[in-house]
Amino acid sequence: MADPPGGRLKFLPEGVSVSLSHGETILAHAIRAGVTILSPCGGEGRCGKCRVAVAGSLRGGDDPGILSPEDRRSGIRLACRCVPLGGEVGVTVLPESRPARLSAYIEGREMAEDGPYLPFHVVPEKGDPLGVALDVGTSTLAGALIDLRDGTVLARATEDNPQMACGEDLISRIVHGEETPDGFPFLRRLLLRGLDKVIADLLASSPGPGKIVEVTAAGNTVLSHILYGLSPAPVRRPPHRPALKEYPVRTGKELGIFNAPSARFRIFPSIGGFVGGDIVAGILASGMHRSEAVTLLFDVGTNGEVALGNREFRIACSSSAGPAFEGGEVACGMRAYPGAIESVRIAPESLAAECTVIGGGKPAGVCGSGILDLCAELFRAGLIDRAGRFVPRAGAPFRETDRGIAFVVVDAGRSATGADIAFTASDLKSVIRTKAALCAAADALLQAVGLSREEVERVYIAGGFGNFLDLRSALTIGVFPPFPLSKFVPLGNASLAGAIGALRSRKRWEEAVSLAPSTAYHDLSSDPAFMDLYQRALFLPHTDAESYCANLSPEIAR
Amino acid sequence: MTIPSAAQTYPGRILSVTLPAGPGGTPVTVGGQNALPLVFEGDRQHRAVVGMEVATGVCELAPSLARALGGREKDPVAFAKACVEEWGAQFLFLSLSACHPDGGGQTVSLGARIAREILDAVPCPAIVGGCGEEEIDTKLFPAVAEAAPRPVFLSYADEKNYRLVGGAAMAYGHGVVSWSPIDINMAKQVNLLLSDIGVPAERILIDPLTGGLGYGLEYTFSIVERIRLAGLGGDGMLARPVLCHLGDAWKAREAVEVSEPSWGDAVVRGRRWEEATGWACLAAGADLLVCGHPENVAAFRGMAWR
Amino acid sequence: MALTALDIYKLLPKTNCKDCGFPTCLAFAMQLTAGKEGIDKCEHASEEAKQTIGAAAAPPLPKIVVGTGDRAVILGDEVVLFRHEKTFYHPTAIAVSVSDALPDEELRERLRNISALSFERVGQALSVDLVAVRCESGDPGRFAAAAATSLAAGGKPLLLIGPCTALESAVGKTGTSRPLVCPPPGETENGARLAASRKLPLVVRARGMEGLAKALAAARAEGATELVADPMPADAAQAVADSVFIRRLAITHRAREIAYPTAFDLGRGFPQPFAAACLLVAKYGSLLTLDTADPAEIFPILTLRQNLFTDPQRPIQVEPGIYPIGNVTSSSPVLVTTNFSLTYFTVRSDVESAKTPAYLLIAECDGMSVLTAWAAGKFTGESIARILAESGIAAQVGHRTLILPGMVARLSGKIEELAQWRVLVGPQESSALPAYLRRLPPAAFAAAHG
Repeated sequence: MADPPGGRLKFLPEGVSVSLSHGETILAHAIRAGVTILSPCGGEGRCGKCRVAVAGSLRGGDDPGILSPEDRRSGIRLACRCVPLGGEVGVTVLPESRPARLSAYIEGREMAEDGPYLPFHVVPEKGDPLGVALDVGTSTLAGALIDLRDGTVLARATEDNPQMACGEDLISRIVHGEETPDGFPFLRRLLLRGLDKVIADLLASSPGPGKIVEVTAAGNTVLSHILYGLSPAPVRRPPHRPALKEYPVRTGKELGIFNAPSARFRIFPSIGGFVGGDIVAGILASGMHRSEAVTLLFDVGTNGEVALGNREFRIACSSSAGPAFEGGEVACGMRAYPGAIESVRIAPESLAAECTVIGGGKPAGVCGSGILDLCAELFRAGLIDRAGRFVPRAGAPFRETDRGIAFVVVDAGRSATGADIAFTASDLKSVIRTKAALCAAADALLQAVGLSREEVERVYIAGGFGNFLDLRSALTIGVFPPFPLSKFVPLGNASLAGAIGALRSRKRWEEAVSLAPSTAYHDLSSDPAFMDLYQRALFLPHTDAESYCANLSPEIAR
Repeated sequence: MTIPSAAQTYPGRILSVTLPAGPGGTPVTVGGQNALPLVFEGDRQHRAVVGMEVATGVCELAPSLARALGGREKDPVAFAKACVEEWGAQFLFLSLSACHPDGGGQTVSLGARIAREILDAVPCPAIVGGCGEEEIDTKLFPAVAEAAPRPVFLSYADEKNYRLVGGAAMAYGHGVVSWSPIDINMAKQVNLLLSDIGVPAERILIDPLTGGLGYGLEYTFSIVERIRLAGLGGDGMLARPVLCHLGDAWKAREAVEVSEPSWGDAVVRGRRWEEATGWACLAAGADLLVCGHPENVAAFRGMAWR
Repeated sequence: MALTALDIYKLLPKTNCKDCGFPTCLAFAMQLTAGKEGIDKCEHASEEAKQTIGAAAAPPLPKIVVGTGDRAVILGDEVVLFRHEKTFYHPTAIAVSVSDALPDEELRERLRNISALSFERVGQALSVDLVAVRCESGDPGRFAAAAATSLAAGGKPLLLIGPCTALESAVGKTGTSRPLVCPPPGETENGARLAASRKLPLVVRARGMEGLAKALAAARAEGATELVADPMPADAAQAVADSVFIRRLAITHRAREIAYPTAFDLGRGFPQPFAAACLLVAKYGSLLTLDTADPAEIFPILTLRQNLFTDPQRPIQVEPGIYPIGNVTSSSPVLVTTNFSLTYFTVRSDVESAKTPAYLLIAECDGMSVLTAWAAGKFTGESIARILAESGIAAQVGHRTLILPGMVARLSGKIEELAQWRVLVGPQESSALPAYLRRLPPAAFAAAHG
């Protein structure tokens, strides 16, 4: 069969074009082109979020189960199932298929409504004014380089937080700091080194010569303290009171960041306890503080922060969920890098796991979204019971290992490491504890203020997963309370988005500054209701199973 | 002057569960109510029922019990008959304590055979309990399930052994007592697990573990109240009859001590110690009581209301 | 309270000014809804806010005090229908009766028996709270003398039951001790006038809820304000039903006209008084009068009361450490268990009745029982090994043998590995300890060699 002639795909409204690659879906083209389309289910055609309006020669993507007849008649297709055939193909990404706030920062629509572009910056004597927005994450440092003349994002970069060497979670790092001589200064130097590296990477990608004059940084209270040379020890012990909640502006030189010495660093203020600037930035990015709608914001990461509220009130907490969803605490877990299994299906007859690997090569481990999928699939297949115990079933790939019985995800022969990728009962326990903490934190906040789950109108998911959290898997095992799928909005890295927004508009920065003191901090460790909610959430999906079935069974069934 | 009515209505109703009897015996049904106990509201088709424990192993009896039972407990079959025919027990709780190493070290097959004998001799509804030693019970439950001449309730299934006990129950048509250690979440979780493996809802009773008077009774009291409120509130998994076994009351020093004159006569005190435990459980919502003292059977059954 | 934190927050200024001492208005609202702070802490609250929040926070059931000083008994002042919602605050008051028709020597003997109704359990003293003096002689003078004798004998506050003529006389002699006066159902107004004039609490007796509400209104009309309600049920069933309804009306419906603590006379031929007493302790009875002074019956009732009126949110704990029982020597057995108060007292009591001197090593477990603490990861091989190393027990005994509660037998390997102590698995039930300890060979606790 002769190859049809080549073609081009043009994405609107960005106006980005990319050459047509045969057999690839629109979604795959979009990823290549750097165009963001929502795909919580990872392109499996199950969630219906990747809707695009198409014109041109295409095939597929008009699944009647997910798209209505009117949709299909108006040319709407699912980007993950639609394959362009040739010629000029126009693809308009629909607004609802974009991550909500990220879209605003790409398109600049929201900025226009709110007032003019209003950065703080001073004009440097040499070079163009550049700004850097930083997400100072527990596991990953992320940055964006902004052209301060017009606010465009010039580059993005990420680095592992070098402090990981002293502990995966913040408590371990505090313990390290307290128990090692020169502990906190050492942690500080590691952090500064990591931030310098991110900034260097950003500058390297910058199209022209420029000088960084403004930096906004959003991080957990503990990291903000370490950055400022303050001991974070008081945050760890009751009453969890930070030494400082508002951080004075300092230059890069004063802080010790060499690659932006004269830039003014503005660190987002903390709310209280562990709930820090990263959550303030996330709330800012989500816009929940300007909306009437009662909203929940989950930052799914090691610290597992949850915020609840709207323009009238806000309350936030940290569930110390644990790093299972960052690939930590799980033996076969890893970060979301090439080689990581990011989604899993278990074939019903063979009970074997089928995996998608980042980068497409041999799998080396499982990242957060993959771990989530794996647990959900094991539960759906009846290979684990509600209490999280393995159920011995004939033909299932269980194997005795030196860490106890394990489910073999990938055989040694097919793995990149030459060893089995195996998931044990204690790995499962870690995941269940993590998800129970997160779910219970949300319910605890609702109970504390006196709201029911039904009164929540929107649920934002931010954090380590990015856009690839499969919500169905998450709800199958009960990571979140049983809100209907339609209420969920993935935000990706909302902390970074908030930092970018504050860089571009001093009004946004001022909003952030007033957000922190007006958001109540709720200490879960002294909330007796939390312990009970946590125990209830240790079941799959939850001890209150009926609320999950009632709201969600069509969406979470196989 | 009109006072508002304090009667309350609830969206849920407790499931009715029947404990079947042998030929000539009288089955008992519990549950079915849609209101809290002891108040004049809602409708209650069935009253709470009272049973007695028959243990196969040797044990030292409290003075109060020794006096009341008069040595009859030494022959389990005769004792079982007396419980029903003389003392009015509406069901039996057969505890195969003789199979425990400390209780006689009986073999599993002998234990199952004795259970069968008792069930044949006395046709009233029965719950059969293991010996309390995990490894032995793993064999004892299936043996009893098979040997029983008629449907009984197996006591108990918990989060660890629910597959074994639930499986044995389903294979031979028995019911299951769902057990949790004074924890409402675990009570619901065990019911969910049993339901997952197919045990029908109307063959499940909830045993939340009853602490004796002075030794944890208040925990049981609150858990039973919470289970009942949840069931009446619409939580199907908790809308089940609750069983309170009053045996722990006899473990209290205060129930057996004879050498403290200021505590009064031990014969009266022992019985009252169990009785107070039982009233508290009934007040909280218990639907089945297992007691040791014959006079308490009469006292609990005598309340004409509930 | 009925208002949620958010309901309250909406009524507050929402400026987060911190003048109340809390960082945000929402945090303050959460304190208000939990009843931990009063709205008066906010100087800037509107009148409407103060009214609404104040009303919601007002106690649904008044507090009535009988007696004075440290023997005073509190009736009422409850906020929840179920102890698990928060706690019950004031244990059911128990009164044991004495009749003024008794000859003097028998009267004094009866009073001595009532005083002897005193028991100690788990570190608390349980006893009867009041003496109820019944006027059965018909003679006000005799009644007054009996009341005075009763007061002098034990110092317990009095419940005076009799016609108003007798009550007046008795109040003349004992009024300063703040007795609770209880006239018969037909004499409510007279009784109320007496109570009002002497500022004493009054029991209002009438059959049925409607009758009771009318009688309470009549008493209030005569100026009596501290009232206790007795619906005069015919039997235990009616008593419990009435008690539940009255408490519900007070707390859920806020029906002020019948929102009072309740009193029940379970003497004078009341059917099945023991059953009724137990049920009413569980279901909102504020004051119960019993004719029995038999410790075999009173002790269980007081224990039931002790149990149900503990605060469910605070597990009672004992200090971790080494507790020697009996005349211990360096070869006495060592047992370990958790610091839950009940566990400690139970095990201790069982060891005592074994008459074997032993060391009880109590581990810090946040007041959890053995199984709970183990499940919560607070009673583990590691933690036990640590106590063995750190508590100093190694200096007290020559052997290195530990008896572990049977419930956590699975920890024995880990303890032996980490602590280098030998572990014996004890019985599952503490009550089997006497038999277990008697069976232990003494060689088990011989000094360790090397």
